[in-house]
Amino acid sequence: MTARRQLWSDRLRFDMGAALAICAALALVPLFVSGPYALGIILVSIYFAIIALGWNLLAGYTGQFSLAPAAFAMIGGYTTALLGHYLHVPLALGIPAAIVSAALFGWVLGKLVLNLSGPYLSLTTLAFAEIARVVIGNSHEFTRGDQGMHVATLTQSRIGYYYIFLGTLVAVLVLLYGLLRGRLGRFMMAVRDDPVGASSRGIDVVRIKMIAFCVSCALCGLAGSLYGTFSQLVSPELGLLQQTGLVLSMVVIGGMSSLTGALLGALLVYLSSEWLRGFGDVQIIVFALLVILFARYLPGGLWGLAARLLQRGRA
Amino acid sequence: MSLLSVHNLTVHFGGVAAVDDVSFDLRAGEILGLIGPNGSGKTTVLNLLSGFLAPRSGRVRMGDDDITGLSANRLAQRGALRMFQMTRVFSRMSAFDNLLTAGLARGVSERESQRRAEALVDELTLGPVQFLDAGQLSGGQRKLLEFGMCFIEPPRVAMLDEPFAAVHPVMREVMAAFIRKRHAQGSTFLLVSHDMPIIVDLCQRAVCMNAGKVIAAGDIHAVLKDHEVIEAYLGETPDGDAVPSLELTDSPREQP
Repeated sequence: MTARRQLWSDRLRFDMGAALAICAALALVPLFVSGPYALGIILVSIYFAIIALGWNLLAGYTGQFSLAPAAFAMIGGYTTALLGHYLHVPLALGIPAAIVSAALFGWVLGKLVLNLSGPYLSLTTLAFAEIARVVIGNSHEFTRGDQGMHVATLTQSRIGYYYIFLGTLVAVLVLLYGLLRGRLGRFMMAVRDDPVGASSRGIDVVRIKMIAFCVSCALCGLAGSLYGTFSQLVSPELGLLQQTGLVLSMVVIGGMSSLTGALLGALLVYLSSEWLRGFGDVQIIVFALLVILFARYLPGGLWGLAARLLQRGRA
Repeated sequence: MSLLSVHNLTVHFGGVAAVDDVSFDLRAGEILGLIGPNGSGKTTVLNLLSGFLAPRSGRVRMGDDDITGLSANRLAQRGALRMFQMTRVFSRMSAFDNLLTAGLARGVSERESQRRAEALVDELTLGPVQFLDAGQLSGGQRKLLEFGMCFIEPPRVAMLDEPFAAVHPVMREVMAAFIRKRHAQGSTFLLVSHDMPIIVDLCQRAVCMNAGKVIAAGDIHAVLKDHEVIEAYLGETPDGDAVPSLELTDSPREQP
């Protein structure tokens, strides 16, 4: 019996279609949700979705399990804030500068961890993330420390911000789709599955890892910068390890190596974390347990399960 | 004409000479057998020739180019392709996507990679499993897939490490037929194997290693009759016994 045609390009197209359908549904949300608080929560979950998509490119598609996505969001946020504060750089330049600065830091970190894998890579990125957070938190004269820094805003309209975040999310999805469906995406997955095999086929493993690090960190930087302009404040809290834990839970629960998985996971986890606030400080416990359960029993995450059911229905 | 020239290659592992002053030539268009007992250094030589290990001393030339110490991906880009004893496939991609990715990695366009992958799937009898993830394939199917990945863009030299080990005879024959066909089209192979009937069937010449050194090289039949080669494989032969040959005649092709 021949297995049903299921190529990477087919899977990715299906994945992208589902992710865009979720975005279309999100575009309708302001028609039904008018309260600024509720809209703000969905907006923040979109912020996490962009970080989760960035981290997923590195961990899910390339197999480089970094523990620094929140640190790169913080670096992006502070780049925009510092440029605005000291050099009066407008946001039109400050936001792209955040992307470039996070990518550059990503490149440096990528160089540092080039020959590391597994827990060694994770621990090194974790150390980098904590050093970055502590340095920013303690540089009172330069960054105002834990008080945080004021950032200019793009618009005072919450709905306006909602659509800015949503538009950015769609742009990120389109960028990732373009990247993943070409050579680069295939080479990233080859590096994830077998770095030795990849290099023996002619793939420059070091170059692919560096590109993955830079793009992933750039996306986190973009998210952090936008978030800073939305909240009009950046603080070292953006880079807390707890935030990275949340991103990791989102991707594992939603589905690693999937655009829809990261997006779905970010929405579900953040919305439920807000709901869980009413029960005290139990979010991390709940999500940690869920990550263990998903990693053990459902490694494809919720999207992996849903995609299987949907495709079985279509067959 | 020599395609790959290996000169005085040496590598040490913690004071032990795993490859010790090894020299041999691989001629364009031939299938050269690299044989020897376990631990003799065959795979280490392949690791050196495919860029996974740098030699302590010695040189390797491919055609007119010195390729000593080049990384694995650069060597692959130059057409020195490697197959592993423990297969190296991309387990979470379909078999067909593995072939496509291997084609793209060698600089073949997506459309052409797709066309070649379709032809290779048929030739390697992988049709029924082409859309399964490579991690779900049997060991033999993975080896066939690796053949396809090596040959999606014809290599200048294909280095095969124990391709027939632990493979079903029917698949073994598919592999042997694949090698024969590509050889007839002019491909060059360096074949590491313990399977003497297949070595005799496919190779014109052989190099035999023992304890990191080349102990015999030349015509395959002469090498398999070499006293030192027999001793390395079977232990010391009793004095006065007629020296046998490692050559066996029951090629798997002739088995029912």
